[in-house]
Amino acid sequence: MNLLARQPLCLATVALAPLLTLAAPPWLSIAGVPPTWGVLWLLPWALVDGPISGALAGLVLGLLLDGLHPGPASEIPPLVLLGWWWGSIGRRPLPLERSFSLGLLAMIGSALVGICLIVQFALIHPDQLLLVLRGLQPSNSPRGWTPPVLGMAGLHILGAQILITGLLAPMLCSLQLLFWRHQRVVQR
Amino acid sequence: MAALLSQALPWAGLLLLVVLVRWSKGVAFADAYALISRPFWPGPAQSDWLRASQRLESDLRLSQLSQDNNRLRGLLDLEHGARGVVSASVISREADGWWQQLLLNKGSMDGLRIGDAVEGPGGLVGLVHELSSSTATVTLLTDPTSRVGVWVARTRQHGLLNGVGTSRPVLRFIDKDPQVRPGDVVLTSPSSSLVPPNVPVGVVQAVDERASPAPEAVVQLSSAVDVIDWVQVRARPPR
Repeated sequence: MNLLARQPLCLATVALAPLLTLAAPPWLSIAGVPPTWGVLWLLPWALVDGPISGALAGLVLGLLLDGLHPGPASEIPPLVLLGWWWGSIGRRPLPLERSFSLGLLAMIGSALVGICLIVQFALIHPDQLLLVLRGLQPSNSPRGWTPPVLGMAGLHILGAQILITGLLAPMLCSLQLLFWRHQRVVQR
Repeated sequence: MAALLSQALPWAGLLLLVVLVRWSKGVAFADAYALISRPFWPGPAQSDWLRASQRLESDLRLSQLSQDNNRLRGLLDLEHGARGVVSASVISREADGWWQQLLLNKGSMDGLRIGDAVEGPGGLVGLVHELSSSTATVTLLTDPTSRVGVWVARTRQHGLLNGVGTSRPVLRFIDKDPQVRPGDVVLTSPSSSLVPPNVPVGVVQAVDERASPAPEAVVQLSSAVDVIDWVQVRARPPR
């Protein structure tokens, strides 16, 4: 938690995540689905600054991102959990800096955020859940539409988001890791 | 104790600040984003394109209105003749993610209110959900939280258009035998107090007649949200 305690202004960079969520650059998306910007910011921060700082940053990030969207569905629980988990991983003796590892962790994080949102949407809109469940079965109506298209919408978003987050993580998270580690060295 | 308190005070302040941002639904971020992205807002080229699309929409609307009852149409036009229209550009678009919404560059200072109908070239796009002084967040018809009263003008059957998170919302009819077929045009319901009447919404793509408790249809929206840069916000009709 050194970085957070000695250079709290670094936390201001967390504002980049909601601003990028709003900007949603189309050239950084797959099938129109943007990456999980919160995960891409949180991963390097938590790896460098530990579990408590990671969980706190996850809470701050979740509160900011929740403010941008309608409805009560929240990103706070998965982000706090991920911040704590990644902070614990960062405390291990061997530093985690390989592109594959960063990409994999980011993909797991993006999947956790997406699954949490799907579960919340299902609880908030049970009628949509019925539509999704029915969508996984073939339609028996002679003039019927094929509901899998509707039911698989969440899986489509989930898959695309995991993929684009995993692709961007090695590049963006490596740069942030270097920057945060440099900040730690400077403050010592 | 005093040292601990002085150490914890800034963090408590920070947490309070973040909770305030959450409570205000990110209004500060929306305003900051509007300020930063101002140089990149759509220019006059999009305006020309919008006008061309509006002409197309008017043609579609005319053909629909010609099938309507003239007396009823006249009454509705009189009733809502004084509504205001505000043009706004789209400065942020999230149409394919977990939430389907737009951010507009006009807000409460421009006369917008929560619940106002937002139309793009082709027809209805969604409703204003959140407002700041200079921005408005629009929940698209495709969002799972969206519910809009519509009707199929050919059969005069009313229903509720539900967003399901895909590009094609589902129309749930009220009657058990709506006699609707693919290709029918869906318009906003004249009975709805939330949206202006007879605004084009889309076209019925497929019908599931065995759905319970009433038939359902998949609707292909007539406005292409992915490419819209300008929209018109209509004030809610007076109750």
